[in-house]
Amino acid sequence: MRVYKGYLMILIAFGIMALLIFFPLVMGINLSFTNRNLLYPTTQYVGFNNYISLLSDGEFWVAFLHSGILVFAAVAMEYILGILLALSLKQSVPGIHFFRSVVMITWVIPIVATVIMWQFMSQPGYGFINMILSSIGLKNYATYFFGSMTFAFPMIVILHLWRNVPFFGIAFLAAMQAIPDELYEAASIDGASKWQKFKHITLPGIKYTGLIMITIHVIWTFNQFSMIYIATGGGPVNVTDVLPTYLYRQVWSNYNIGYGASIGVVMLLILLAFFVIFNKTYGRETS
Amino acid sequence: MMTKSDKRKIYPITYISLILFFAFFLLPVLWILYASFKTGSNITNGKLFSLGGFTLENYKTIVQMGNFLQYSLNSLIIAISVTILSLFVGIIGGYSLSRYEIKAKNIWISVMFIAQMFPGVLLIIPLYNLMLNYHLVNTIIGIVIAQSTLTIPFAMWLLKGYFDGVPRSLDEAAMLDGASILKTLWSIIIPVSVPGIAIAAFYSFVVSWGNYLMVSVLVQSNSTATLPIALYRLSSSLTLQWGNIAAATVFVVLPTVVLFAIVQRWLVSGLLGGAVKQ
Repeated sequence: MRVYKGYLMILIAFGIMALLIFFPLVMGINLSFTNRNLLYPTTQYVGFNNYISLLSDGEFWVAFLHSGILVFAAVAMEYILGILLALSLKQSVPGIHFFRSVVMITWVIPIVATVIMWQFMSQPGYGFINMILSSIGLKNYATYFFGSMTFAFPMIVILHLWRNVPFFGIAFLAAMQAIPDELYEAASIDGASKWQKFKHITLPGIKYTGLIMITIHVIWTFNQFSMIYIATGGGPVNVTDVLPTYLYRQVWSNYNIGYGASIGVVMLLILLAFFVIFNKTYGRETS
Repeated sequence: MMTKSDKRKIYPITYISLILFFAFFLLPVLWILYASFKTGSNITNGKLFSLGGFTLENYKTIVQMGNFLQYSLNSLIIAISVTILSLFVGIIGGYSLSRYEIKAKNIWISVMFIAQMFPGVLLIIPLYNLMLNYHLVNTIIGIVIAQSTLTIPFAMWLLKGYFDGVPRSLDEAAMLDGASILKTLWSIIIPVSVPGIAIAAFYSFVVSWGNYLMVSVLVQSNSTATLPIALYRLSSSLTLQWGNIAAATVFVVLPTVVLFAIVQRWLVSGLLGGAVKQ
């Protein structure tokens, strides 16, 4: 009886998910095998042609490379800075509870607003960063950073750090606070140094939280479209172009629907492959 | 927790790193808040701090600007609808995955997890095609459906994790008293899961409120436009009125910050569920 009702609830929930998410996904995969283009009157199945074209599409590989570098750089730095932030937030200095409460504010701010704040900070002449650079004698470096071939990509990484490091910090803080005091006390009695305690007690203690955080942030960063599109549109030229912005341009500017869909399917396959490998490597160690 | 020796020794480096972190995180927010109260010429004069020139004019301009209130109302209706839909699917799906010994449970759970990986940029292509057939492009309902594809999987994942931590003895006691599944869920499980549900609701609301991708495709007139669209248009216009942009940014950010203040104490336990428990 109870099991039967459990199935009913699952069917309702997954039925809605199937209708809203899986059915469109299957349609999207189906589109990736067609030459559908809003500018052409007819649509035909073209087999794997879109995927074969991707192999020799230079712009695709540039976006692919940028996506890989962005995910790796952003998530790795978020992990390290998150640990540093957690260690700082762990200290009982005056006002620390206020800091702990407000720090995650960056994560809830709408992405359009985040980008505008940083664009404002980067304005030549009156942006905060450039005014500071000028006042310390580095006026030559003052520029609109999002428009610079050199600085645009680092700025995109910084936007990610700004948004996500507090989440890592707060998660690691919670994990550190869950480590029993006795472990540290026992280590002190054995004469362990601060570094040894950090390496052998703190780091293993936060590992499981870290794996969850890496998992969700690799997904979020790899699929992140709006932040890059709004900040730079993939430019200047294509130095910040990533797979989501390249796909968007193919579909909504060039109307290459079938081709764009094949990029999306490749993105999904990359994520799936990553998690199979990631789980095999780290999943067993911690469970 | 800290050991006693850690508590006594606070090194200057702690203060330095806290100051650096918080300058980085808070300056952009404070700076745009400051600019939103300044006149245009005072923003662009290139001086870090200039006395005077404070005004409420920017906010007045924004509120009176054509359609801004319409966009706010659209954003609000859409975000509330997305939240309700995500909570409904998330609660019944998360609860049944957490409680019932159904066949192939791991497959259902994997499906739920994999659904979070689907790129939004891919999903919007077929969604747009489908909505074109059913006349849902440029409608509030269409936008709610599209945004829910982004929030439902994560909401369900959060809630399943949270329900896993609620003792089964609570359900069993209620069942023994003869309560139905829905009654148990409504009167026993939901009340003790407020932190998890609040965070799932908060997540859904914030994602919808700030969503740009789905609306950029589905919105084709002012009647369905939302705040992120309006803000993006304002910030990419040829003549940048930074005073107005700053005020509009603050206006869009404010509701998320207020909600954040309310749910903040549950954020860690709600978001990470079992992930921080040892």
